[in-house]
Amino acid sequence: MSAPAAGIPYRLRVAVLASDPVAQDWLAELVAQCGHQLVEAAASPDAVLTDGAADAVPAAAAVAVGAVGGEFAGWLPPDASTAQVDAALRAVATGLTVRATPPRARNFDRLPEESAVVLTPREIEVLAALGNGLTNKETARLLGISPHTVKFHIESLFRKLGASSRAEAVVRGMRQQIVEF
Amino acid sequence: MPDIAENPLTNVSEALAERVRVARPLVASIAVPGHRPRSGTLWRKDVVVASEQRFPEIGEAKVTLADGSTFTARVAGRDPGTNVVALHLEDTPDPTPLPAGEPHPGGLALALGVDDGGISARLGVIHSVGPSWHSRAGGRIDRRITLDIGVTPIEEGGPVLDAGGGLIGISTLGPRGRVLVIPAATVEGVLEPLLSKGKVERGWLGLALQPVLVPEALQSEAGQLRGLMIMGVSKESPAARANLHAGDILVTIAGESVTSPAAVAHHLGPDSVGKQIELRLLRADKPFSIPMTVGVRPSR
Repeated sequence: MSAPAAGIPYRLRVAVLASDPVAQDWLAELVAQCGHQLVEAAASPDAVLTDGAADAVPAAAAVAVGAVGGEFAGWLPPDASTAQVDAALRAVATGLTVRATPPRARNFDRLPEESAVVLTPREIEVLAALGNGLTNKETARLLGISPHTVKFHIESLFRKLGASSRAEAVVRGMRQQIVEF
Repeated sequence: MPDIAENPLTNVSEALAERVRVARPLVASIAVPGHRPRSGTLWRKDVVVASEQRFPEIGEAKVTLADGSTFTARVAGRDPGTNVVALHLEDTPDPTPLPAGEPHPGGLALALGVDDGGISARLGVIHSVGPSWHSRAGGRIDRRITLDIGVTPIEEGGPVLDAGGGLIGISTLGPRGRVLVIPAATVEGVLEPLLSKGKVERGWLGLALQPVLVPEALQSEAGQLRGLMIMGVSKESPAARANLHAGDILVTIAGESVTSPAAVAHHLGPDSVGKQIELRLLRADKPFSIPMTVGVRPSR
């Protein structure tokens, strides 16, 4: 790895090691969203993105998303944003260790009143599929609609949630208030 | 010797210090093993209240009052709904009650507490005063009072006074570090159940709900544009017994349209437990109504 000039963003070569094809696709998309180049694990990558369940992960340069435990240089929660994944990959590539701040207990707060952003039932289903790491095709199959329609719903979700990536839409969508009574 | 003109700043300062002096006997320091002492308010003889959030899960604590007297306190009850924990002590002095405070936006407020082994005081204005509201844990708070004052987690739970020295309520850390006041009337309202039963019962249906747009074809049938989609049903809950499913859209409770979580909480106060209410829902593009007996919200 040639050292980049300090402070200038550069494209990393990132390998994805996951335990199943769905997770593999999901992590590969995260890498793409971060603007990095996807490479094979054998091609001496700058960093590795993993679901923490794959075999033979070079832990010293690996970011595990949604995993707890293990020797990985980076751990992120399953709902980590693209920005967090990007920052974690860059950090482990330079030999740093990354841990997400544990979720802080929320302060006493009010129940949501009427909110500006309200999703349709279909959008909620599509969002849940995104959250589970499904591709557009898989989502379409699951919901019995065309991939074109899925794309339409995703665009609407991006617009309503002010998101620019699937991961961001999922994170913002989760903040949509599910309240128990 | 020339007369020294009255200094208005000194007057204000002395008046504030006097308010604190009068309220001092109400400020309690609550010692919890393994934590720094936190603040509380001697609400009346033998009863101290404090902020429930972050209060450790313990049965007993040591309470020190401003005069240095110490007591063993039993944690009598906690209510996440209104963020009040009540401690029962024995043979405390009977504090002289403060007059009722009246919060006005822009008026001065003093937030008292304990810090560094003594009384702490903070001054600021009352930022806003709004109508009643519901907390995430379902409690109804009589007024929405926010302060332009910062308090620490150590200080929250102490008394908040208005400029005249009247008691407004107890301080609470709210969202984004904003300081709220739990009004005295709200504390009074939960105190009896907390001391006798250890909790405040509230209504429960067993539903996880999310606001949703009613599909266009159903909007006229539903009579409203929004509803609450069921995202989950708790096992052995009133909703489970009524055979409600994820995907159903709740539109009214007891004939009143519910389009936000706050609107649901309105129907599930302490008085609702055991009562029968009618829910109207949309399922598979058809409306239907179902009666349900309100259960008791499980504690956390």
